[in-house]
Amino acid sequence: MREVMEHTAGKVYLTYLAATIVGMVVAIVRGAMSVEPFLLFGWMTAPLVAGVIFVLLWLVGYLVYFFKFWPYR
Amino acid sequence: MVFDIAVLTIFGLIIIGMAAYGYKISAKTAEDYMLGGRTIGVVVMFFFVLFAISSSWTFYGFPGLLYLEGPGYVFFIWGSVAGFAGLYMFLGPRIWALTKMNRFLSPVEALGERYESKSLRLVLAISILAFIVPYVGIQPLGVGAGFQALTGLPAIWGAIYTAVLLIFLVLLGGMRIVAWVNIFLGIVYVTALMGSMLWIVNVALPGGLPGAAAAILETQPELLSAPGPKGTFTPVLMGGTFIVGLLAFSWPHVVIGAMTARDKNLFKWFPLLIFVFGGLFFYIIPFIWGSLVAPAIMPLEALTARAAELGTSVEIEADRVVQTIIVQELPGWFGVFVLMGVIAAAVSTAAVQLMTSSVIVARDVIQGVFKPDADDREVTRWARWSVIGIVILSLSISVIDTGAMALYLTDVSIPGFAQWSPALVGGLLWKRGTRQGAIAATLVGVIYLVLGLLITPGGSRVLLLDLHPIVPTLLVNTIVYIVVSLLTPAPSEEIQTQFFDEVDEFLRSES
Repeated sequence: MREVMEHTAGKVYLTYLAATIVGMVVAIVRGAMSVEPFLLFGWMTAPLVAGVIFVLLWLVGYLVYFFKFWPYR
Repeated sequence: MVFDIAVLTIFGLIIIGMAAYGYKISAKTAEDYMLGGRTIGVVVMFFFVLFAISSSWTFYGFPGLLYLEGPGYVFFIWGSVAGFAGLYMFLGPRIWALTKMNRFLSPVEALGERYESKSLRLVLAISILAFIVPYVGIQPLGVGAGFQALTGLPAIWGAIYTAVLLIFLVLLGGMRIVAWVNIFLGIVYVTALMGSMLWIVNVALPGGLPGAAAAILETQPELLSAPGPKGTFTPVLMGGTFIVGLLAFSWPHVVIGAMTARDKNLFKWFPLLIFVFGGLFFYIIPFIWGSLVAPAIMPLEALTARAAELGTSVEIEADRVVQTIIVQELPGWFGVFVLMGVIAAAVSTAAVQLMTSSVIVARDVIQGVFKPDADDREVTRWARWSVIGIVILSLSISVIDTGAMALYLTDVSIPGFAQWSPALVGGLLWKRGTRQGAIAATLVGVIYLVLGLLITPGGSRVLLLDLHPIVPTLLVNTIVYIVVSLLTPAPSEEIQTQFFDEVDEFLRSES
């Protein structure tokens, strides 16, 4: 974390992760999971879809940062 | 029943055989027993950690809660995935480098040295043990209920069977074999959980998952969205549940996993496995089971009638709903395979917690306080024999009040684990964090948590402001840590060099 913060890419990455967390909390609190119920493909409920999107955002951020900018390569 | 017991006996003998083999090949040193000689690679680490955190709760409690309350609780899982990945991305490399360079065998020992305080080491050791030991006992008891449902034998036999496996595995095998056995246990559990779900969907839900959702839409549509049928999962509670999940980085039995890594490259690849196989695959299986498959096949009315017939509560039957459906819909021989999967989930978690507890007892309490001159062999012996004491103690605590134990997990253990996180994060990342700050913050956090849970006039947790226990206690803990650290003298130059500059240098140069 300390060494991540020493570089611009690391600061951008941490800001991105923080933004996904804040975005998730805001989406929840603003009622995005409440209601017909939302069903993607006829079975994926809103909390499941929100979680899958959240994990995918973390996965993409991780792939870009760790394979391009990780300080311990 | 004879077939069931024969299968479970063979399963148990395989685990004991692996533990005995581990004992035979081990180097018999404290580092080998407690940290697997720091030789764990990325694939073993993935199974080790994923199934250390995925207990039989993912088969009973999690689907049961979704079945009764709708999908809102899944935000705990999404938070946890980010929390575990965050631990391995940001704190893991430093914990690993610091403990490897200085030959520390426990994260508590590392923090005791970082803050130059034996008192803090003892405070952290006792508080972590208080929150983790009862957790160990819950797993065998959970298996006991499933054992009784399948074999008809008393639940206590299932609990004893699991406890014996745990003792052999941890006492003989040590951390390396616990990690390796988790591969076997994890494969058994995933096969049972996913195999049963696919089979049930194929047999009982001709419309597949969309058909299940359509059936629920007709009978109980509130189950398909927040806040759920009882209105429990309000936006505020879901947001809080998500935040609680994020704090999973502070679970001591996961933190100690980072210390067993072979090299720093593990920390580069590990998050990939957690995101793809943990977040996007494994945790979605019990979610589908509890939120779609179970309510479509056994609606609440049928479950309520079953609970009345058996003289149990709806909540208890909801916890068993996956097992009930499997027993009713699938052949008997598959039921014992599923029970084997549940035992695998229980053992894979409890073994790592037991291993962590024994390391803290031997290294931080006995050697750290009472026998500082003890040699390697003595420390290892204490760690091995403390395993039996911890299992007996944890089972005794769990048996006293099984009803309260489910609450112990969410309301006591997880907030309890979080109370060492300011000292942990500050100790690793903030040069200005001081001994006084760490001791004051940890004590204030733990005492506030305990008082907040005990003083409940009219059933209301007034001291905790009626929030989740983790929120006010961790906030106060963090503020105390920062303020007291800033008001007290900074750590010595020597400590700052040893715990920050040398770690930075080691991480940049080591390959």
